Amino acid sequence: MPADPHSRRPAVGEGPVTRLALIGLAILFLAAFLALPLAAVFSQALAKGFGAFLKGLTDPDALSAIQLTLTVAAIAVPLNLVFGVAASWAIAKFNFRGKSLLLALIDLPFSVSPVISGLVYVLLFGLHGSFGPWLRDHGVQIIFAVPGVVMATVFVTFPFVARELIPLMQEQGVEDEEAAIVLGASGWQTFRLVTLPNIRWGLLYGVLLCNARAMGEFGAVSVVSGHIRGKTNTMPLHVEILYNEYNFVAAFAVASLLALLALVTLAAKAILEWRFADQIAAAKR
Amino acid sequence: MTAVASGATVRPAKRGWSFLAPTILPGFGTAFGFTLAYLCLIVLIPLGHMALRAADVGWDRFWAITLAPRVLHAFYVSFGCALAAALINAVFGLVVAWVLVRYRFPGRRLIDAMVDLPFALPTSVAGIALTAIYAPNGWIGALAKAAGFKIAFTPIGIVIALVFVGLPFIVRTVEPVLQDLDAEVEEAAASLGATRWQTFIKVLLPAILPALITGVALAFARGVGEYGSVIFIAGNIPAVSEIVPLLIVARLEQYDYAGATVIATAMMGVSFLMLLGINFLQRWTRSRHAR
Amino acid sequence: MAIEIRNVEKTFGAFTALGGVSLDVRSGELLALLGPSGSGKTTLLRIIAGLDHADAGEVSFDGQDTRDRAARDRKVGFVFQHYALFRHMTVFDNVAFGLRVKKKAERPAEMDIRRRVGQLLEMVQLSHLASRYPSQLSGGQRQRVALARALAIEPKVLLLDEPFGALDAKVRKDLRKWLRHLHDDMHITSIFVTHDQEEALELADRVVVMNHGQIIQVGTPAEVYDTPADSFVFDFLGGVNRLNGVIEGGVARLDGKAVRVDGEVGPNGPAVIYVRPHQVELDVAPGDGVPEGKWSARVSSLHAAGPVARLELDLAGRALEAQLSRDRLSDLALDVGSWCTVDFRHARVFPAKN
Ligand SMILES: Nc1ncnc2c1ncn2[C@@H]1O[C@H](COP(=O)(O)OP(=O)(O)O)[C@@H](O)[C@H]1O
Ligand SMILES: [Mg+2]
Repeated sequence: MPADPHSRRPAVGEGPVTRLALIGLAILFLAAFLALPLAAVFSQALAKGFGAFLKGLTDPDALSAIQLTLTVAAIAVPLNLVFGVAASWAIAKFNFRGKSLLLALIDLPFSVSPVISGLVYVLLFGLHGSFGPWLRDHGVQIIFAVPGVVMATVFVTFPFVARELIPLMQEQGVEDEEAAIVLGASGWQTFRLVTLPNIRWGLLYGVLLCNARAMGEFGAVSVVSGHIRGKTNTMPLHVEILYNEYNFVAAFAVASLLALLALVTLAAKAILEWRFADQIAAAKR
Repeated sequence: MTAVASGATVRPAKRGWSFLAPTILPGFGTAFGFTLAYLCLIVLIPLGHMALRAADVGWDRFWAITLAPRVLHAFYVSFGCALAAALINAVFGLVVAWVLVRYRFPGRRLIDAMVDLPFALPTSVAGIALTAIYAPNGWIGALAKAAGFKIAFTPIGIVIALVFVGLPFIVRTVEPVLQDLDAEVEEAAASLGATRWQTFIKVLLPAILPALITGVALAFARGVGEYGSVIFIAGNIPAVSEIVPLLIVARLEQYDYAGATVIATAMMGVSFLMLLGINFLQRWTRSRHAR
Repeated sequence: MAIEIRNVEKTFGAFTALGGVSLDVRSGELLALLGPSGSGKTTLLRIIAGLDHADAGEVSFDGQDTRDRAARDRKVGFVFQHYALFRHMTVFDNVAFGLRVKKKAERPAEMDIRRRVGQLLEMVQLSHLASRYPSQLSGGQRQRVALARALAIEPKVLLLDEPFGALDAKVRKDLRKWLRHLHDDMHITSIFVTHDQEEALELADRVVVMNHGQIIQVGTPAEVYDTPADSFVFDFLGGVNRLNGVIEGGVARLDGKAVRVDGEVGPNGPAVIYVRPHQVELDVAPGDGVPEGKWSARVSSLHAAGPVARLELDLAGRALEAQLSRDRLSDLALDVGSWCTVDFRHARVFPAKN
């Protein structure tokens, strides 16, 4: 069978005019909505020349925002990775009651507004939150501090790895693992030697998406961070502050760094999808 | 799926309620326990706690806050713009998915990869970029200004931001369905005398519709809660272009926790009801489909 | 409607699916395209229907070239191998589809559509399932829906791709008979594709045998069965013994003895002698040696269920299959291990390949 069942059916396809019109329409639409914003980011960043661009990036507050963003991602991504593996092991390899409820709950953060994702932690740990006074008395600050930023990021990136792994592991079934156990492998050996090699590309894919969101999250982090320059400002927040101060070049300089991260993510994603299509296809509904 | 074979030596598993189906694989307890604990800690307890705080406010005050004109209008803007954007995406997202699946042309791979940009680009970056383009002095904004209307700082700007955010949801849900369509069905329609358009409307669209509705629902849900990409382009003019998430943030900044909680809970409630409705619609379209 | 196919060629990349095929389909006949999988049958059918374009050559309907006629203008009824029913439509709506998509001016009134679909469903004996969806039907029922749907547009030509391929043996037989009756009633020019020789021989007015994108032979079932054009056709029509012999001076020889063969004898050299099992003649072995011009064989196994007995013989180390009536078998009193003489009523010889 040829790879593409549609390209070889000329007799019932659209005529060349319709075809061209549709392709043109799609390209025009994507250009206006995707390519143009991307171009705007880079052109605005370089609007006042390369020097101004570099100055925006090397400003101490910008550097500290970059550092915080990396730190937050370095905490949130591994946490959600461990969670994703545990959840998909339990859900994909076992049958138990209430599985679909658990699946729905794991997806829950996807349907919660980012602002609410931050709000729920403010209500718990903020100054007027339920634990606020107690935390203040013990000298612990979560909201308007780094722990709050980490928590909010963990919340919004919560489902990413699990979402990729569960369908993939479900599709792979349990026979390989059962064979390993019957051959005398321990549970941990089975996971490391049998399951992990089967899911590694799906895992990487999930981590990639999780990381992109962790570094780019704005709404949830904005609510809990307090926007303290040099302290609780992540890169996306720093972009906002600079923009609101009409420091457009610096804002777009930091934004261009984030856009670059997005482009790298997309490229890596495309390569993974192309090279290991079968191993990650399961996750695409 | 059950590994229990029939036979004299194998006794049927004990009847009655059992939480876990029989298995020889280890690690369920640890994995499930960790999953549940983490889920509760990160998601369920904080969300549940918010609902409790909303309940604390009391019925009368809850409605007083929610039904204030400014809040109501924000709801109207948020849900209306999200719906409009989702419907625009339903059309253009379908075109994009169709073109990507069915046609081969130079740059197709690049375009395919680019469709996910809104997933990967931080929302604040998208927000300022869109504003730069659609503001009256921006590339497209200037054109619009010359034509006598404004895009940024109006609900139109919000819709544009939400179209950006929602596009991949539609494309990525419709794509696999388009891919799996049986080409012979289209040929059957053609040999029965249907035009291309008739084939699309009567044969293809009904097959795509459930996925399209799913995509619209996902894009809509995302659009309602969207914050970062909207606030820059919206201008946030009360009773004109103010969205609900922004209102929540504003209340928080004034340490009005009760107000923020009530509005957030109401928003989740309305979203939930709408998704329920969409789910119902979907079941209905699916039930007319192969059973 | 008559169909003329002239030098039709079709390639997929470097692969030649049809290499210059010419064929005349007579008006009103039921024609079988018979050949092994991959021989180009479906490709030819699709080109006739306008679902694919030929790279070269032409197809005309009643003398009119079809090159510029799109599939939807050809009035060809096509029954797909896997039916290609519209899954979200009921049986009724599937059958009505071709009528409802007609141009306003030609479209029958909804009343007439209902009547017509009703008639068609009655004809395919599915009236009681009109409101079901395709997924709620059995394979044979789907097949009949597909047929009714194709007939609804009153096609001038009916094309069926492996119409019985996906059905189990019993349903297949019933449907086969039923299709023959249907064709006798309606006399639509019909072409059906099959890789099952029995189906082709039993059902068709004429059989077209294809291999490797070529038409090897066209003829009535009796013609192709009795006088196969070449060794491939002989083989493909089933149930044949192939015995290695030689050709020497225009005579085919098996173990030195001359074999009477029909048709041409090729050039000198190694050859294969083809004999159908029912053309193998057995006789009681006389006490004293083998009679002139015959062979001697030993019965190695025997299946005698039904009116026909099948014997496996050992002819000087070659396996030979023979068929004879049960009566004849009891006359001969043969049993496993007994010896007999062998002769061939009709045989063909073809030069051995390489
Ligand atoms: N669209 C196509 N692309 C490439 N090869 C094809 C295509 N369609 C058919 N073929 C090839 O052409 C040959 C003939 O196919 P087909 O006509 O379907 O054979 P049949 O119906 O006799 O089994 C096969 O080898 C098949 O692989
Ligand atoms: Mg075929």
